[in-house]
Amino acid sequence: MPKANRRVAICGGGIFRPDLWHGENAEEGVAIAYQDLLRQCPNLGADDIDAVMMSYFSDHLNQQLCMGWIIQDYLGLHNKPGYRVESGGSTPLDALINAYYMIQSGFFDVILIPGWEWMCEVDVASTNEMIASAADTDWDFPVGGYYNAYYAAIEVRHMQLYGETCEDLGRIAVKNHNNSTHIPFSQWVSQRGTAPITLDDYWKSRMVCWPYRVLNNAVMSEGACCVLMAAEEKVSRFTDTPMWITGVGLGTDSMRPGDRTADFVYAGFKDEAKIYPDFVKSPKTPYPDMANFASLHVAAKRAYAQAGITNPLKEIDLMELFTPYDGVELCLYEDLGLCGRGEGKYMIREGVVEPGGECPVQLSGGLTSTGHPVGATSLYYTTFLYWQLAGKVKEICGPGGLQVPNAKRALITGHGGTGCQGGVIIFERD
Amino acid sequence: MEEEKGLVETKLKVRPVKKEREKKYRDYPTVVDNSTAAHDFWEPIVHLGLWAIKGHQIVKGPWGGGTVEQAKKRPPREFMVIDRASFAFYSHSYGLVSPFFQGLLEAKLTGTKCPKCGTVYCPPRAHCWNPECKVADCFDNWVNLPLTGIIHTFTVQCLAAAPFEHMLPFSMGWVQVDGADTTLPMLLHIRPKEIFIGKKVNIEFIPRKSRKGDLMDLYAVAAVPGEKPPEWACMQKDTREMESVENSMKATLKFIKDRYGVDNSPQTRGW
Ligand SMILES: [Zn+2]
Repeated sequence: MPKANRRVAICGGGIFRPDLWHGENAEEGVAIAYQDLLRQCPNLGADDIDAVMMSYFSDHLNQQLCMGWIIQDYLGLHNKPGYRVESGGSTPLDALINAYYMIQSGFFDVILIPGWEWMCEVDVASTNEMIASAADTDWDFPVGGYYNAYYAAIEVRHMQLYGETCEDLGRIAVKNHNNSTHIPFSQWVSQRGTAPITLDDYWKSRMVCWPYRVLNNAVMSEGACCVLMAAEEKVSRFTDTPMWITGVGLGTDSMRPGDRTADFVYAGFKDEAKIYPDFVKSPKTPYPDMANFASLHVAAKRAYAQAGITNPLKEIDLMELFTPYDGVELCLYEDLGLCGRGEGKYMIREGVVEPGGECPVQLSGGLTSTGHPVGATSLYYTTFLYWQLAGKVKEICGPGGLQVPNAKRALITGHGGTGCQGGVIIFERD
Repeated sequence: MEEEKGLVETKLKVRPVKKEREKKYRDYPTVVDNSTAAHDFWEPIVHLGLWAIKGHQIVKGPWGGGTVEQAKKRPPREFMVIDRASFAFYSHSYGLVSPFFQGLLEAKLTGTKCPKCGTVYCPPRAHCWNPECKVADCFDNWVNLPLTGIIHTFTVQCLAAAPFEHMLPFSMGWVQVDGADTTLPMLLHIRPKEIFIGKKVNIEFIPRKSRKGDLMDLYAVAAVPGEKPPEWACMQKDTREMESVENSMKATLKFIKDRYGVDNSPQTRGW
C-alpha cells in the first residue's frame, strides 16, 4: 500500500475501435485514438504530458521491435520519458498500474498510456502459435501449443471439482455477446450486427477445445486506445468527472499450470483441501490447483485492502474482467471473492452478474465479443468504466447503452498467460 | 514490373550452404551431433526469407475512428498490404534438466527430487521452488519414474496452433506420473468418450527413430483398455456434450483431410 498520500485519477480515454482488420497501421490507429482523447480533453496538449507508458505485448506479430518509439515519434511526444511494460495479456493493466505507481510516487503528474495491438498480419493458426509462445516453450508449448487448450483443460478440472455445466459457460457467452450489441464500437457489431443471440445459438456454435465453443473464446483484434492519468492537482484541467484509482494489486503464479499441484507459495490455502469431492485426488497443495487463479486472488486482496473493501459483491457496482475464455469469468467470481470457491456457477444462474443484477460483469461485452487487441484491451475496458462512473454511457453509446444507475465504484482485472500474472484496479468517482 | 518481380521470386532456389557451420561452442566438445542435417536443410531457408517483399494486395476497406456505423458509412479507401517472410533457426539448451530429455530418447521417464523437502518434480526442476528450500540444487538428484500415472485434467482439441494443425483432432492433458507431485502435459491416445479426470494411464513412447527429445516423444494410453468413465465424469455425463464433441471431431477430420490430405480417423490411428 502506498505510504505517500496523493490521489490519482483516470481523466479520459480515447478509442480507435477494435476490429478483425484495419487498413490503418498501428501508429495511425493510436493517432486516431489520441485524437479522440484530445477531443474529450480540449485543454490537453503535449506540454501537459510528463511521460508516456506504452502498452503492447508482441514484437513478433508485426516484425517490429521498439514499436513504442514509433508511437512516441508519431504522436510528437518523442522528447518525453517513455516506458514499456510487457506481461502478456496482463500488459495493459500492468501499464495502468505502473503509471499509477509513478504518479503516486510524485515523480510525474500526468502520464499518457497508449495501448495497441495489430494481431492479424499472420494467419490465425500462426497468431495462436505466436501467442502460445508465452507459454513455457520447453514444456507446455510442444504439446498442441495453444492457449485455448490450456484454458479448456483448466476449466475441465474446475468443472469436475465444482459441478458447473456447459450451460453455465453458455449463459456467460450469451450475456457477454448481448451486452456487446449495445457498444457501437464493438467488433461483434462490426462483424455480426446488433441482433441478440440465444443459448440455442451457443449450442450450435462450433466446438473448439472441449468444453469451449467458438462463442466462449476471445476474438483476434486490431485496435488502439489512449488513456490519460493524472495527479489530483492536475485533474480539473482535463475533466469534471475524474475516475479515481483507490486500490491496485498485482499477483503472479507459476509459469506452467501443471505445476500448481505443488505450488508452495500458496500453501496458506491448506483448508481448501476439504472441498475436494471424494472421487478427485487432492494434490500436494490444494490451491490453486489447475482450477482457479491465485494470481488474481492475491491481486484482489491487495487492491481491496488499499480501497478498504471487505465485501466486494456489496461494495462494488460493476466489473470488467479480463476473460479470454468464459470459464475464467466463472473462476474469477470466486477468486475475486464475489462468492465462495466452487460457487461461481450460482452467480450466473441467479443473474447476479447480468445487466441489472447486483454486480453486472462485462457490460462492455468483453474480450469474447467487443474486442481483444491485447495491448489496448484493458484500456478500452477502463474507458468504458470511465463512461459508466461519469454517467455518460447513453450519451456515447446511444439510448440502448447499459448504464448502471448511479455507479460509484468499479473493478477491472488484467490477466496474462494461464493466470501467470494478474492485476486488479478499483476505480471510484467523487 | 510486376511480372518481372514474380519471375525473380521463382528463380530463387534453396541451395545448400557449402560453408562450415558457425562454431558457437568452439571451446566445448559436441559429444553427440544429431544436428548437422537439420542445419544443412534449414539454414538456407532462413537466408532465403530475407525482408524482401514477396507480393502485395490492394484492399478496399473502411477507415477512420468513431463507431462501426460511422466507419462503414464513409466511402472505403485503398490500402496496400504487403507480404514478407520471416524465419529463424534457434539452437536452444535444455539446461541442467537435459537428462530428462536425453532419457526420453531412451524411453525413460525421470524426475528430480528436492533433497530438502522431498518434492518430486516431473516436469523436473533443476532447483527447488519451495521458498523454504532457498532454491536448493535438485539437478544431481534424479529419480526414475514408472510409466504410469493418472489424468489430472484434459481437453479435446479441434483447433491447434499451426505446427500441430495437421494432427487434429486430438486429446491432450496433464498427467500426474505416479510418484511425482507436479503434472506433465502430453497427448492422450484415448478416445474422448473414455477420458476422465483420475483415469489411470500407461505412458508409451513413439518408435525410437522418430524420437526427438521433447514431450511429443511420449503419450498416454488407458491402463485398463476399454474402461468406461464413472457416472460423475464431467464430459460424458451430459450426452449432448459427448454428441457435440463427436460431431466437432468429425468436421475436423474432414477439414484436415481436405487441407492436408491426412486421414486421422480413429480407425487409421488405432485410438
Ligand atoms: Zn524443496
